Amino acid sequence: MKEAVVIKNVSKKYRMYRSKKEQITDLLLPGRGGKNFNAVEDVSLTAYEGDVIGLVGINGSGKSTLSNMIGGIVPPTTGEIIKNGDTHVIAINAGLNNELTGIENIEFKCLLMGFSKEEIKRVTPEIVAFSELGDFIYQPVKKYSSGMKSKLGFAISVSADPDILVIDEALSVGDQTFTNKSLDRMNEFKENGKTIFFVSHNLGQVKKFCKKVAWLEGGRLKKYGSTEEVMAEYEEFIEHYKKLSKKEQEAFRKETAKRREG
Amino acid sequence: MKSLFNIIKEQIGSIYLIQRLAMFHIKIDNRNNVLGFVWEILNPAIQMAMYWFVFGLGLRENNGINGVPFIFWMLAGISMWFFMNQGILDGTKSIYQKFNLVAKMNFPLSTLPSYIITSKLYGHLFLLGILMILFWINGYWPSVYYIQLVYFIAISYLFTFAVTLLTSTLAVVVRDIQMVVQSSLRVLFFLSPILWQTERLPDFVEPYMQLNPFYYLANGYRASLLYNEWYIIDQWQLTVYNLGVIFLLLLVGSAAHFKFRNRFSDFI
Repeated sequence: MKEAVVIKNVSKKYRMYRSKKEQITDLLLPGRGGKNFNAVEDVSLTAYEGDVIGLVGINGSGKSTLSNMIGGIVPPTTGEIIKNGDTHVIAINAGLNNELTGIENIEFKCLLMGFSKEEIKRVTPEIVAFSELGDFIYQPVKKYSSGMKSKLGFAISVSADPDILVIDEALSVGDQTFTNKSLDRMNEFKENGKTIFFVSHNLGQVKKFCKKVAWLEGGRLKKYGSTEEVMAEYEEFIEHYKKLSKKEQEAFRKETAKRREG
Repeated sequence: MKSLFNIIKEQIGSIYLIQRLAMFHIKIDNRNNVLGFVWEILNPAIQMAMYWFVFGLGLRENNGINGVPFIFWMLAGISMWFFMNQGILDGTKSIYQKFNLVAKMNFPLSTLPSYIITSKLYGHLFLLGILMILFWINGYWPSVYYIQLVYFIAISYLFTFAVTLLTSTLAVVVRDIQMVVQSSLRVLFFLSPILWQTERLPDFVEPYMQLNPFYYLANGYRASLLYNEWYIIDQWQLTVYNLGVIFLLLLVGSAAHFKFRNRFSDFI
């Protein structure tokens, strides 16, 4: 099998400042102001072509930072990510403008996604059909409900045809029928052998959709393996975590937070 | 040098994108106004009328400059200013304002300033068209010197782009750059022969005034539209100097752009 994405010892550090003064101090004398925060710490994993990998973990575990790094939006502080193929991040709400109509937004967002004139012409009817907006497509987006807006954004986003796909909480859009339609589209990607990274809190979806799961905790890769294996353990952890009292949950969070400093 | 080639490649590869986004930008900017695009003309028109009133009527008693009425002399020079001033100000903001719009896509980031500038160029060309008609009515007919105008429009665009390539990058890192740019522009505006003639200054000051690129551009527009002179050749030293400045800015700007480009997300 061919490697699609190789993540090698990737870390992401953020500088955190409490005040403007700290920020200026740090700018003039690097290291003297502010604190480090390790959003992602020394993560390594390899995805092969056609892998569908779920990224799971509680809030703040580094899922989004990692998926952003895979998508090329955020550069890693250390380590490297080698990708064989085009990468596309499904970003529903990015790149829509409220003043423009639905149909204008299709061209606008497609331009931002790097489509050529011909490609835009080709995909526009497909997007219009997929979005189920009917005549609303000629109305300015500011008149849309949030569900309609997401449907449009989603429809445009999935018209791309990349080799590697990053999906971050994208399938919770619209009503049940639209979710099913979206899942169908995702399965289409899967059947076409795309490499997919799927970030979700919906464990049911992860179990149904993914072949492998990477579990992040406190910015570190806790476990990586087949879906059954990892999810069994992760669900156990979630059950356990839920049962903890508020104080114990806080203690757990504090402990991981402390480890991520420095 | 390599960064400069990459920027040029990225710009040329994105011509369709830049031009479409510029059109959208104008649309988005003007959709909420009843008069829409008319404001792109009306705003400068009102300002020009005021400048003429104060500097032309008030200070110069409407005396001509080298045989051309002050009002025409001023209009030819100032049209370029509205374009470049707006282009540089909005272009400087472009990356930190629009980064989130394109962050999740593989977007050629150096085209953010260029599409903003291009949208301003359309307004400029429109305004220039109106001014030309005004000049024709008053007997300043189109001539072979209009070829030179094309050059000066191109140089104005290039200069605006070269400046914003650098400032838009720096403004992401330190937001205060926006203020620095704004103040510098105001200083350069009053230090250039847009509203008044620098020739009236003591002789030893004049060469320093010529270091200001707006000096070259304002007089270049005038030479092409009104005076029928080959300014590029007559003032070849200035031509060489300004092309050099643009080249230098592009060189520094593209190097800075690529140095910080990967880390824009950390600063925003």
